[in-house]
Amino acid sequence: MPLDSLFKKRIVLITGKGGVGRSAVTAALGHSAARRGVRVLVCDIGDDPADYSPLARYFGRDRLPIGCEPLVPGVRGVVLLARTGQELFLRTALHSSTLARAALSSDALRRLLSAGPSFREMGVFFQLLNYLRAVRRDGELEHPLILVDMPATGHTLSLTGLPELLLRLMPRGPIATALRDGQSYLNDPERAAAWVVTLPETLPVSEALELLGGLEETAMPIGGVIVNRIPADPYTAAERAALKPLLAEHDVLGGEGFRRPELAARETARLRAGTRVPIYTLPELDHEGLVLALTEEIEKKRRLRPSMRP
Amino acid sequence: MSKSIPPKPREVTRVGELLLTKRILVCCGAGGVGKTTTAAALSLAAARAGRRVLVLTIDPSKRLAETLGVSRNPPEPVAVPAERQALAGIVAPATLEAWMLDHKLVADSAVRRLTKTKEEAERVLANRLYQQISSMVAGMHEYTAMEALHRLVQSGRYDLVVLDTPPSRHALDFLEAPRRLSRLVDTRVISAFMPKSDGIVSRAASKVIERVLGAVFGEDFAAEFVGFVATFAGIFQSLSVDVNTMRKFLSGPDVAFLLVSSPAPTTLTEAHFFQDKTRELGLPFRAFVLNRSRALNVRKRLPELSMIDGGAAAGSPLRRGMEKLQAMAKTELEWANRDLALLRDLETRAGDNATAIALPELPQGADDMGTLISVADVLASS
Repeated sequence: MPLDSLFKKRIVLITGKGGVGRSAVTAALGHSAARRGVRVLVCDIGDDPADYSPLARYFGRDRLPIGCEPLVPGVRGVVLLARTGQELFLRTALHSSTLARAALSSDALRRLLSAGPSFREMGVFFQLLNYLRAVRRDGELEHPLILVDMPATGHTLSLTGLPELLLRLMPRGPIATALRDGQSYLNDPERAAAWVVTLPETLPVSEALELLGGLEETAMPIGGVIVNRIPADPYTAAERAALKPLLAEHDVLGGEGFRRPELAARETARLRAGTRVPIYTLPELDHEGLVLALTEEIEKKRRLRPSMRP
Repeated sequence: MSKSIPPKPREVTRVGELLLTKRILVCCGAGGVGKTTTAAALSLAAARAGRRVLVLTIDPSKRLAETLGVSRNPPEPVAVPAERQALAGIVAPATLEAWMLDHKLVADSAVRRLTKTKEEAERVLANRLYQQISSMVAGMHEYTAMEALHRLVQSGRYDLVVLDTPPSRHALDFLEAPRRLSRLVDTRVISAFMPKSDGIVSRAASKVIERVLGAVFGEDFAAEFVGFVATFAGIFQSLSVDVNTMRKFLSGPDVAFLLVSSPAPTTLTEAHFFQDKTRELGLPFRAFVLNRSRALNVRKRLPELSMIDGGAAAGSPLRRGMEKLQAMAKTELEWANRDLALLRDLETRAGDNATAIALPELPQGADDMGTLISVADVLASS
């Protein structure tokens, strides 16, 4: 599956643990989609509209807007808030804005709902569904591609596993209807994919493998893994062999850059051995201009098939 | 070093001293910054200094449990095996215990403790909804961590409890989340859903609520859900007070909050956010721990040609390798300086009542006891 396939989906969840560069990769994929003329909506999931957003920073803002807005030409953005989605859901489910208003103005009821089984995730899920369904006046899709920067590993599984879990509890009713509709997008390999971002390091690789295992238990199709920040290796084998004894003796600057490529190769190989999904690599780049440089790298990669097993 | 006595007592601002004087250290931070390892190293350092220490961590990595030699998810805290404690230089009466806990387990044990009879406990634990959603009820994870912390500190078995907070996007989520749970178990809220409510107004309100819940969850589920919440909330009612008690307890002089982060473009923003939020909540913020920092590399030497014995012929692999190494060393010096500048910014930001320290990046996969001890030593001397 070439990386290009990612831009043909309706919804792509970008997952991975903290610190792996997930938001930067999401932002770069957003830019890359825009360059190809795909109208893209990038989202992250927030608890509080006042929270800062790492994804928004890559678009020169502190936070993403509560309602969808253009961030840069071709890329729109929105923060998915449980509360916004819940309100939307109540209005739809109750078929009555009067009743919905009554429900939302009842403090007791709001509290009960907010503690309900996965009601928070449900709010996010419903809002996402709403953006997926949105159609323009000319009949075209409002958001042909939606990229979601998923907050943390656990959240990804609770969102992707949500429909199955809740449908067991509530086989009928408006939630069930929304969940089944959501499933028709999220479980369809033509329309949805989860991509895992990780680093070529011990713990992140182990955690990526765990996350892939968890995703396989849900019905969410897996797109592949992006191994981010592969360190450059300027040394030839002969140079490595010649320098090794020297670096064992002296703890000098430059030693880290000497050792890291070997570790990265070892960990990438371990990832390959542990999964059958496609694996792409992105180089380590400086913080400055990171997203544009990453976008260039993705442009180079997108027609390529995943790197072959050694 | 001897200094004149300051005019008024100042807050402890050295991590090495926090370890020796506080009763609770709360390690906060986003996921993936090495928070669990930092918490483990802090506990190790305190135990090495003679204290009875417990490290409480949620969803820890398998490796850390292996390093400490404790099982994951035991029902109660367990001591690190004697030979490992000896290896780490922990001498009785000092001890190091760890509890790597699981949300479900803590919730189950809370239900057992809070129910009046064994039958009642079993009824709740066997409830279909409890099994499916106890861990999904908003705030439950964070609440259980706080509850366990409070109970273990009160037990008097430890001089210090180090809490590694659950991973979340925002460092203080774990303090905010229990509010959601405590708001739910508020008596007034629960009574609104109870059929026995009297008075025309509340009956009318119940009707609206019934309709809304029926419309939202479906008729069958709504009744089951309300029934469940009532039982569950009934059990947890006594705890709704505790959330406030705990908040107060965490604002006390025996407590220190630490923010663990790693160098990233968002680190400073996060630090600002954390510090403002702790101030707002009246919590004692005491230290920024900049993990995986290359700041300490500024002390390292640059590779020099003189290191090659007798020099090497131009164009030889050793010579060419050396030239590349020197180029890379320059880049690494830039990184080191950049991380050092970030550390200085954090120090400024920390102000008078807090501190900022840097911890080096651990060698890949080397989270063995030896490495943990070396981190503990850095912490003890900072």
